[in-house]
Amino acid sequence: MINRATFVWMVLAISAGIGLFVLKYDVKSMEGELARINQHTLENLEAVHVLKAEWSYLNAPARLEDLGRRLLSLEPVDTEQAASISDIPIKPPIRKTPHSPVEYSPAAGQVPPILATHRRAQ
Amino acid sequence: MTGRHFFFSPRRHREPTVSQEVETGRNRLMIASALFAAAFAVVAVRLVDVTLLGESGAARLAHSVGKTFHRTGRADIVDRNGVLLASSLKTASLYANPRVILDVDEAAAKLVSQLPDLDEASIRAKLKIDRAFVWIKRHLTPQQQYNVNRLGIPGLDFRTEERRLYPSGALSAHVLGHTDIDSRGLMGIEGKFDKLLRRRQAPLQLSLDLRVQHAMRQELSRAMTEFRAIGAAGIIMDVHNGEVLSMVSLPDFDPNQPDQINDDARFNRTTLGVYEMGSTFKIFTTAMVLDSGKITMRGGYDATKPIEVSRFTIRDFHAKKRWLSVPEIFMYSSNIGSVKMAMAVGTRAQKRFLGGIGMFQPTPVEIPEVGSPLIPARWREINAMTIAFGHGMAVSPMQLVSGVSAMVNGGIFFRPTLLKRPKGQSLIGKRVITDKTSEKIRRLLRLVVAQGTGRNAAAKGFLVGGKTGTAEKVVGRRYKTKALMSSFVGVFPMNAPRYVVFAMLDEPTGTKRTFGYATGGWVAAPVVGSVIKRVGPMLGVRPMDEEAPEVRREMAIDIVTKKTGKRRLASF
Repeated sequence: MINRATFVWMVLAISAGIGLFVLKYDVKSMEGELARINQHTLENLEAVHVLKAEWSYLNAPARLEDLGRRLLSLEPVDTEQAASISDIPIKPPIRKTPHSPVEYSPAAGQVPPILATHRRAQ
Repeated sequence: MTGRHFFFSPRRHREPTVSQEVETGRNRLMIASALFAAAFAVVAVRLVDVTLLGESGAARLAHSVGKTFHRTGRADIVDRNGVLLASSLKTASLYANPRVILDVDEAAAKLVSQLPDLDEASIRAKLKIDRAFVWIKRHLTPQQQYNVNRLGIPGLDFRTEERRLYPSGALSAHVLGHTDIDSRGLMGIEGKFDKLLRRRQAPLQLSLDLRVQHAMRQELSRAMTEFRAIGAAGIIMDVHNGEVLSMVSLPDFDPNQPDQINDDARFNRTTLGVYEMGSTFKIFTTAMVLDSGKITMRGGYDATKPIEVSRFTIRDFHAKKRWLSVPEIFMYSSNIGSVKMAMAVGTRAQKRFLGGIGMFQPTPVEIPEVGSPLIPARWREINAMTIAFGHGMAVSPMQLVSGVSAMVNGGIFFRPTLLKRPKGQSLIGKRVITDKTSEKIRRLLRLVVAQGTGRNAAAKGFLVGGKTGTAEKVVGRRYKTKALMSSFVGVFPMNAPRYVVFAMLDEPTGTKRTFGYATGGWVAAPVVGSVIKRVGPMLGVRPMDEEAPEVRREMAIDIVTKKTGKRRLASF
């Protein structure tokens, strides 16, 4: 009769066999999938190559210039319009004259105008 | 029973005992299990081998995931900013197997209906030849391929081929050249680097800047139309490394349609054409004499009387008829003064100087169409005199521009090149004049644009300097008076030069606007001015205040007007 140990070994052997074949077909289908994806990638790379060429064609300077002139309301930049940050003059400090037109009296509970705006902003 | 059985003497067959049977059984079991164990051991070892040790086919496949890349038969060409200039795309080429075609007339008629530019008679003739392969039409568009396929004619088939396409069209025609139907390079960069392009996949990067090229081509084209010139040439070069940012020769062609190029369009006026440059050569004469130390900026020569040598007379255009200092000779473009400068240096030194700035060799740019300069076989005194003011020797515009680059960049001559130099590559240049001489030349060039004949090139804010040149063309053995080569070589920004901009018009005619004049200052200088105004910001040259005191001081020249030493200060 088949004793326990033999039964266990038989089960193991059969499952090993099944496992082997399941794995084998799994790998085979994965390989097929990989080949399909590679083919797809190649087709896409090919399409990208064509699109790059088309993009450069559409970006030809003559075409862009023509489109810009017709559709955008921009003019060529004049040299007088080009400047750098250092060209902007520094804003002179606000000088408080002795007779400041804005008087305030703290005693009356008023606050200096600048603080008032600051507080409002808070 | 008999004596004949020696080997198989019958033994008394005794029944094996139970224990012997068991023994046999066990032995057989042992052998079998040993074999199985061995088999499984091999499997185990192989498992270890495949998963842990080394690369097997499966492992290589696993690692190659994500590494698919697209290969073309010919590398792309891009400009210095990576903009695509030339690319190979897959197209279908139609061929037929005449031995298999059933009805030739029907097939020919159907084909011509879908591909109208084919000649029906020639197609019919082709389909009757007894061969297995004959081209019908190469490089079909995808739409054409679909239509022809839909006809369903047996015996036709497509072969995938690559066709070279140029997205920018005529813009870089002379630089790139074109290819034949088999994508083999025929001229320009395509021709020179034909093998290299077929070998590699990485794009070939040129020093060309397409935006700058567009500006140059447009302005040149405009001037060519306005002055009804038969041709034009334009070059922009970086003075610090000899890179050519723009190279235009008009008329040009569309490299996408190579079978429609005529010879005049194919001729590259920037490198192949050699011309007597005229007054632009005076830059070299002046640099030569200043560098030799034989004269200073305060010195000068007497230009009162024209020079007579054998049967020639050398005179000035708009003669001043007095003593002229070096800045005045340059500003008024005096031929007499230039001749005297050359004589002061001597013929041998002049020859050596011009040889040092590449005037005797065809320009080394990387295209096959380079012309050899025309130099006199014997360099006699009369030759040295005429060469001093740019006649008697013919060079290509590219040679002139690389020479002028060396004069303004501090005195180092760099080989001109159409390829972008890799970052960090150390440049090898040859020192031809001192830094001080270069500085003097810069001031003189600025003088011409600020006060002299080059005023039309003054793009405000870019501190342009330069020199005009108007030369009569040599036809046969004589100078053709009305056929001019008007050019202007400009440099900007003059206090720290970065680029040389050159424009030349071939046989311009004056208009009402230019008062009938077709000289360099009237027709070529405005082109340079407009180009600089457009490309300056693109190239990162910030417009400056030309009137600012520091700038004026940098460009100041003492112009001596009389031999007695009275001085007139020119600062601008």
